[in-house]
Amino acid sequence: MKLRTKTNIGILLVFCILAISTGVVTFRWHTNHAIKGAENRVRLYIKAAWEIYNSKTDRIQFALLVLAEDDKLKNFMLDRRSTDLRAIVLEQLERVRREQNMDILNLVDTKGRVVLRTRNAGVRGDDVSNDPMIRLVLKDRRRSGGTVLFDSGRLQTEGEDLVRLAKLYGGESGAMMTGAAVPVKHNGRLIGVIQMGNLLNGSVEKVDRIRDSLFENQRYNGKPVGTATVFMRDLRISTNVLNQDGTRATGTRASGEVAERVLKNGRSWTGRAWVVNAWYLSQYDPIRDPDGQVIGMLYIGSLEQRYLDERSRAVLLNLGVVFGGMLLAVVVFYLIIRTILSPVHRLYQATRKLSAGDLTHRIDVRSNDEIGELSDSFNHMAEQLLKDQKEIQESHAQLEERNEELHTTNRNYMEMLGFVSHEFKAPLGSAILGLYSVKDGYLGPVSESQTRVLGSVAHSLDYLNDMVKHYLDLSRLEKGELRPHRRTVRIKAEVVEPILSGLRPAVEEKQMVVTSCLADDLTANADPSLLRIVYENLLSNAVRYGREGGSIQLAGKRRNGTVELVVYNDGDGVPADKINRLFKKFSRIDNIRNAREKGTGLGLFICKEIIDQHGGSINAESEEGQWTKFTFTLPAEASVGQPLQQVQ
Amino acid sequence: MNKKAKILVVDDDVQHVDTVRTLLENVGYEVDYAYRPEKGIEKAKAFKPDLIILDVMFAGPPGPDGVETSRKLNEDPDLRGIPIIILSGVRKVLDLPFKLQPDEQWMPVKAFLEKPIKPDKLLAEISSALEK
Repeated sequence: MKLRTKTNIGILLVFCILAISTGVVTFRWHTNHAIKGAENRVRLYIKAAWEIYNSKTDRIQFALLVLAEDDKLKNFMLDRRSTDLRAIVLEQLERVRREQNMDILNLVDTKGRVVLRTRNAGVRGDDVSNDPMIRLVLKDRRRSGGTVLFDSGRLQTEGEDLVRLAKLYGGESGAMMTGAAVPVKHNGRLIGVIQMGNLLNGSVEKVDRIRDSLFENQRYNGKPVGTATVFMRDLRISTNVLNQDGTRATGTRASGEVAERVLKNGRSWTGRAWVVNAWYLSQYDPIRDPDGQVIGMLYIGSLEQRYLDERSRAVLLNLGVVFGGMLLAVVVFYLIIRTILSPVHRLYQATRKLSAGDLTHRIDVRSNDEIGELSDSFNHMAEQLLKDQKEIQESHAQLEERNEELHTTNRNYMEMLGFVSHEFKAPLGSAILGLYSVKDGYLGPVSESQTRVLGSVAHSLDYLNDMVKHYLDLSRLEKGELRPHRRTVRIKAEVVEPILSGLRPAVEEKQMVVTSCLADDLTANADPSLLRIVYENLLSNAVRYGREGGSIQLAGKRRNGTVELVVYNDGDGVPADKINRLFKKFSRIDNIRNAREKGTGLGLFICKEIIDQHGGSINAESEEGQWTKFTFTLPAEASVGQPLQQVQ
Repeated sequence: MNKKAKILVVDDDVQHVDTVRTLLENVGYEVDYAYRPEKGIEKAKAFKPDLIILDVMFAGPPGPDGVETSRKLNEDPDLRGIPIIILSGVRKVLDLPFKLQPDEQWMPVKAFLEKPIKPDKLLAEISSALEK
């Protein structure tokens, strides 16, 4: 994988992790925040709701305070016998009740008995001292207000129509009444109580006012944003929560859990509540009568979906900002990485070109950072390589030239060597024949000392003759003229025997025994003349370095398409550490015992060259002081593709 | 050996001719010589040798070599039958790219000898050639 890809993947990975964790945190934070916020708002709502709930009571109290100061009313309370006065007061109060749209407006004496009823005026004298509102005024002589629970008897007393109304909105015989009671005093003495109130059952005024003030009757996705309800105990008696069919959900009941907490324990309940068809964040507060008894509940619900959607919007906005920022960061990172890596890529391409042999390629250095330094040193390196290459090429050319010169010199030298050697041949020929004629006594008797001197001259001439032969061969080898003209050669008849016959005098002189195990029909694919040179060298060595009275053995056999030939002689042999030098040019193995028998140092080299040219190999083995054995191979048959040399 | 055997030496090397002549005369042969092959054929007709010793390569003006001369001698009715020995400094095939073996058609000689040669060998070959 490329570095760039790795880096990009790494960056993406890091940003993915960051994005996911940020997303989770943001979501959770916003959810918590939204729920908490909503709960706080519901608490505020219910406070406001209470204000609205109680505001009417204050207004009623104010109105009652004014009425309580009325002289006619005071007079009526002081003396209730005057029917005229009763009629006047009744008319006056009835007018007030209607104007104020009140359900009840009663006058009660200090014993707690109703002395005047505006609604259902025919019924009076009943005891309402168990009404907490009345009882409080009688006891404390101070005004009181709030909500009280009317049992069915009281309700019946207050008016048949009210019973029907309460039944219509709750199905229970009782009802809840909000209102106030104010003492009527004369010269500081309590003379009665005036009480006014409204039935909550069926009345939507309070709850709708609460809803309109707090929620402005808004709807959200077709659902009301907020609702308010008044419970008589756990029964909905006044609400703007609507049933599925659009009617108010009066007459239904609160859940057991809520009733338990609020009605029984007198504590608020806050939380999510499923109301009709949606979740609402809700609070239920207990409604107490002036005695502090819990008689009902005030409910405020705020549509949860609104907060969830708000949260979702906030989360989306937040995440949008976060992701946008991250995307921007990724892009910026990518660009930075690209800026950093593109010179690396250029460097990579440059090294590719360089390794492909383009030493002239240079990197355009644009930065002065580490990469720039690297590019710089790359360019230096390429420059140096180019310089070195030029130098190498130059010195190579010089070497070639020098080599060619050396070749020419060597060829000239070899040519001269060949020429000189050739010129030696004729005089040597006659010198040897003449000298031996004298030495061997063909030209007359020779004295012993003359024979000795002539012998050593003859030896020198023989050596000179060997040298001439070898130098001639060498010069032809080095000039490349010695190409084998191959044919099938009968080794024994064509090569070995003529040479052995030529060597017979020397062999006899050293009293050596030659044993040949060569089969008559053993053949090789070789140049007979060159093979003769090989055998001449090997055999004359065997005679020259062989032990007097020792044996020379010749053997040969075919093996896997090659002919393996062996020349063995008893003798001093060659030290093991010098055996590898035998086939080197001009190598002489110094041997004190054979000091007289100095070789030219070329014979074995020529043998090896000839055998190499035939595609064979030669090696020597020796046991020092015992024997020497040369083994060489030649191809047995003409190889495919090799032209047959028809020698005429 | 009632009568001295006659040997004709044909060689362009004056020293060699001298040496061979001296040796052969000392061991009892009658020797004549020529330095050129053409001259050798003339001499052979006059001298009527029992054996001719021929060189192969001759210096000087172009003319027949020893091998060619041996064929000419063999073709001549007067000279046919005289044994011929070639004694040459030619290093066999290295100088001449052809087979240097006595051959009835191409080189009708008794022996092909190589210089340098020792007197023992030379005399033995001569005796052998004369006997046949």
